[in-house]
Amino acid sequence: MSRDGARSVLRHFGTIAGFAALIVFNLAPIVWSVRTSLMAPSDIFAYPPKWLDFAITLEHYERIVKSGYFQTFRNSIAYSLAAIAIGLIVGLLAAYGFDRFRFLGKKAMFFLVVFCIPLSMGSSALIIPNYLYFSKLGLLDGWFTLPLLYTAYNLPMAIWIIKSGVEAIPVEIDEAAKIDGCSRFRFIFGIVAVLSRPVLAAAALFIFLGSWNEFILSSIMINKPDLRPVQLAIYQYLGFFGQEWGPLTAAASVAIVPSIVIFTFLGRMLISGLTAGSVKS
Amino acid sequence: MLVAPSILFLIVILIVPLIYTVYNSFFDLRFLQMGDFLGFKNYAAVFRNREIWHSLGLTIIVTFAGLAISIVVGMLMAVWIHSCQGLTAYFLQIIVLIPWVISMVVGALLWKWLFNTMGPINYLLNAWGYGNVDILANPRLAPCALIFVMAWRTVGFAMVLILAGLKSVPKDLEEAAEVDGANRWNVFWRVRLPLLKTPVMIASVILLLSNFNNVDVPMVLTGGGPGNATNVITMELYRQGFVYYDFGIASALSFITLLINVVLIVLYMKVVKYDV
Repeated sequence: MSRDGARSVLRHFGTIAGFAALIVFNLAPIVWSVRTSLMAPSDIFAYPPKWLDFAITLEHYERIVKSGYFQTFRNSIAYSLAAIAIGLIVGLLAAYGFDRFRFLGKKAMFFLVVFCIPLSMGSSALIIPNYLYFSKLGLLDGWFTLPLLYTAYNLPMAIWIIKSGVEAIPVEIDEAAKIDGCSRFRFIFGIVAVLSRPVLAAAALFIFLGSWNEFILSSIMINKPDLRPVQLAIYQYLGFFGQEWGPLTAAASVAIVPSIVIFTFLGRMLISGLTAGSVKS
Repeated sequence: MLVAPSILFLIVILIVPLIYTVYNSFFDLRFLQMGDFLGFKNYAAVFRNREIWHSLGLTIIVTFAGLAISIVVGMLMAVWIHSCQGLTAYFLQIIVLIPWVISMVVGALLWKWLFNTMGPINYLLNAWGYGNVDILANPRLAPCALIFVMAWRTVGFAMVLILAGLKSVPKDLEEAAEVDGANRWNVFWRVRLPLLKTPVMIASVILLLSNFNNVDVPMVLTGGGPGNATNVITMELYRQGFVYYDFGIASALSFITLLINVVLIVLYMKVVKYDV
């Protein structure tokens, strides 16, 4: 066989191996879980496994709905939206401030922001501190508890992402607006915000994923069933349903829908945000 | 001042608690009751605790093993996707990133179900003539499973950063090397790889941080068990606080964990060249 022939065989082999790996490791687990969630309990543990020949049932979904799953869904959406709203407003102000102004302590403050990016990723060191502090201040178990935390944890990264967009806006626009008598806040939330839509969207996406997927903080801060977010509910189902994989996989399958849908449409934005330098993982 | 609200947020919610914890770590704080001043006794107790040492050792192994797998597989994926075009490349990226986008709770739950003795993995083992293996109940296999799931969820992240690095390698540099008679292998090792140093470094530091601090995956996948086989440092922290209710010890351990994190944070700030 010629060298080129060998190379092309190798390349085809690599492509097939790559696709096979992606299907087995990245798609199959999700498909398997969705499949389980649609099976009757007797089929789930059938041996040999029923690969396709099973009757579809929605009983597990009915069970999780009855146990109040949608309440937790609503909570997570509210927490995420609150964190996104505060994060974008406060983050845009900070990004603009850091980019356009010189002020006392600017370096130190920006250092703090960058320091907090990895710090909020290394959140295990913050679990006990946040718990003790919030319990001391009586801030545990409130409707505001998780939005506050989610905003603070995702804000450093949001500032970093938004700043990269604000930098690209020419200073001449600032001056023109000033001459036209546009107030600073109207300028920031009108013109700068509109011009930096892509980075605002990327930042919003990050805050969303960070808030929607967060688990450990909610598990220690929240006791009231009415205030539970989605991930905490799934974790508690693990104790509650035990080996009943029907309702467990049903809950898991529903929980990933928002992330997957948003990600499929805004994936490019997320990837560009990721490569903006550094990111939560 | 425009940056004030943000800075206030970070100081009040992230920094002050850390300082408060240093204060707490010097007191007897069992069951959240503020007791006697203990000086460094909590720290001494942490250092004398064999379980914590075991836990720290295990964490280091899990952290680095997970990182190594992620970087190697992420690199392979990046090189592969780099050779694809347009929409194919985009969809491949999306699929590789799925485990990173879904929550760790769900990711760990998916694998917990796949590892189940009645699950497909054991079915295949049986079909090939092996006996059932309860992977998550086996003290030798459970840490491997933990490493696997941690690596699984971060491969996409490594891939994205490395792929961006590959894209930034100037085409003419590669062509020049080829004109000079370098084969593809040499182009990869001598031209591309050196230029990938920065993205690989950034990905590595972030993944070290992420693996070291990962509490969601062990919590859902194994709960630290069987026995203490997967009792990584974050699980131990959680136990000291929310199982034993010894918040003095937990605070001391948190502070030690923070110091380890600070080393990684400093590394992070070195590789991500930020400026104002």
